[in-house]
Amino acid sequence: MKTEPPTRRRPVGPSQGRLALYFLAPALLALVLLRLLPALMALISSLRHHSLTDGVTRFVGLANYADLWADPQFWQSTRVTLLFSLVINPLQVLLALGLAVLFNRRFAGARFWRSLVFAPIAVPPAVSAVIWGILYRPEGPLNAFLGALGIPAQPFLTSPEQALYALIVLMSWVGVGYWMTFLIAGLQDIPQEVYDAAGMDGANAWQRFVHITLPLLRRPLSFVLVAATVSNFLVFAPVQLLTGGGPDGSTNLMMHDVFRRAYSVGDIHYAQAEVVVLVAVTLAVVAVQYRLMQGKGEE
Amino acid sequence: MTGLLSRRRLLGTALAAASGAALAGCADDRPAGGRTAVRFLGPETADTFRPVIRGFERAHPDLRVEYTPVPPAQLNDVLQLRLSANDTAIDVYCVDQPRVPALTARGFLTDLRAVDRRTRAAVSQEQYGISTWENVLRCLPVWTSTQYLFYNADLLKKAGVTAPGADPADRWSWEHILQIGRRTMERSGADYALLIEQTDAYYGIQPLAESLGGGSGITGDDMLTPAVTTHGWIAAMTWYGKLFADGLSPRGVSSFEMASLFTAGRAPFFVGGPWNLGAFASLKAFSWGTAPQPKFAQGRAVTPTDSWSWGINPYSNRADAALRFMEYASLTTEGSLATIAASPLIPSHRGAFDRYAADLDRNATRSTQGVAAIMRHELAETAVSRPRSIGYTQFETVMGSAFSDIRNGSPAEARLAKASAELVRTWERLR
Repeated sequence: MKTEPPTRRRPVGPSQGRLALYFLAPALLALVLLRLLPALMALISSLRHHSLTDGVTRFVGLANYADLWADPQFWQSTRVTLLFSLVINPLQVLLALGLAVLFNRRFAGARFWRSLVFAPIAVPPAVSAVIWGILYRPEGPLNAFLGALGIPAQPFLTSPEQALYALIVLMSWVGVGYWMTFLIAGLQDIPQEVYDAAGMDGANAWQRFVHITLPLLRRPLSFVLVAATVSNFLVFAPVQLLTGGGPDGSTNLMMHDVFRRAYSVGDIHYAQAEVVVLVAVTLAVVAVQYRLMQGKGEE
Repeated sequence: MTGLLSRRRLLGTALAAASGAALAGCADDRPAGGRTAVRFLGPETADTFRPVIRGFERAHPDLRVEYTPVPPAQLNDVLQLRLSANDTAIDVYCVDQPRVPALTARGFLTDLRAVDRRTRAAVSQEQYGISTWENVLRCLPVWTSTQYLFYNADLLKKAGVTAPGADPADRWSWEHILQIGRRTMERSGADYALLIEQTDAYYGIQPLAESLGGGSGITGDDMLTPAVTTHGWIAAMTWYGKLFADGLSPRGVSSFEMASLFTAGRAPFFVGGPWNLGAFASLKAFSWGTAPQPKFAQGRAVTPTDSWSWGINPYSNRADAALRFMEYASLTTEGSLATIAASPLIPSHRGAFDRYAADLDRNATRSTQGVAAIMRHELAETAVSRPRSIGYTQFETVMGSAFSDIRNGSPAEARLAKASAELVRTWERLR
């Protein structure tokens, strides 16, 4: 019996590590300069305070965070942001999933309709806001349509009860088509044989959707959920352009609140503290989502 | 090895060349034409400033002006954002006059003591004062303002109503305006009774509260104590909220759309600034007239005033050129008149003001009969400036939200109390 000589593995020398570092350097540099450094600067800035009366900037420790904790406007903004996220994220994911399943089927004009649903993402957010601002006007097309159906005119953006939901509709119009494309890609990755086998076993359409489509779509679904959550935590332009956070603070999402404190009120250090809180809340929510999705995946 | 070195050398040379070109581009202070550019930022359209820029460039062939318009509602946010980042790409910017103290406190305005004497001699006393803070000239005044009551003559005629006169002694009250407005709605089919151009803006709302003795809304030795829950403020804001709740004025319509609603014949009355005179006059089929801004029946006549000065960014590296541009626009009759050539605002410059008022009289039509007299009277007798406080920026922001909420149905007293509490918190943080 002839014993084969052990294959000689080429040792990984320092030159290869250095080479890898060279390749990674642009990405690492961008990560440090564009992400970590600004985050660090925001954190440091949030520990300072500038006095307009004597013009001096001082280190104040966690005083800005303590002020935030006691600020009813901050808590209202947090509540509005959480309500917005609780409604819009499931809504967008469900609508995107429904549309993905629909447009994954073959029917006349499917590609055309799919393009139409995707098109709003190509429109800049400010333009989308202007379009919907016109639609939502008291004498705008939406109220004209409602009037034709015999429904009284709605206040939309001027009502504290309706304004947030009006923004949710706007943002979903923008976002759903985009998220749909990821789910369509996921659906097309599911082998047809699995559906054929389930069909032979007598599974109906609903059973195939629940027991095949959803489990095999978990990864793209989790990506869409996490990406939509982050994206919706950072909604700003429509609020700034359409409602200014009102009426009665009902649309004062945290991103807008940060901008208002930083540039309208001019309290940049206080705004930085809110930025840090916003990032922490976003990371916490995303971490929970990841944990839940991973847990399901291990079953 | 040689190949590697040569590639490295080649790469290094290319990088050095690219960096050099980029740095050269950044460092080049003069454009290809050899004329230094003054970078100017403001809230008006490019058309408004075209005459003054052309006039200045003709008078100063070595300089040119690059104007960047910013939407008026966003100007202050943009300035705060860019100046707090020590942005050197702005040389001259438009300064909302009540913000002079706040901008000075933030270090956003250059000391202009060097032209103090000339400025004092060239512009009106009020406009000189509003452009200073702590006895130091901080910017050069360009325009001041007042407001008029405009009416749609056809709608009033259709409703069988006599139009208001131009004599300030016969000034109508807000109560009377709404009574006539309602009647006109019933008889002429107008949709609304009254449109207030500066809706939700402190400039437009302050006269309501001041008319009822409510004060400016700011008090205290350091002018950092809110006073927006006085009887006058509550009464004025209750009236303001009811105006929209009763459908006499529209909700959900921005300030910038009000004038077009008026010229479309949707309402008989419109309270707006002098810049509307030119726009309305250009509409041949539109029959309109001008009267003094109303007051409350039990209150005193109060009109808003002040407008824009121009200031120099302390981080600008072209301060000398910037000052020459500002001197031309503010301190010379020719330049000051050029600032109002495209839009009939009221010049701060004494000589230009006299010419402007004389032109208003000379060119008066049926629509503008008496406008010059109204303007002179209001600026002398009823004009009340916005409060001078380093906290004005926060005040205007907080009160703007409150006005908007009251317009959309929030109870006035509770909303003013909320605004007051927010101001206390906000200003406490600025100390």
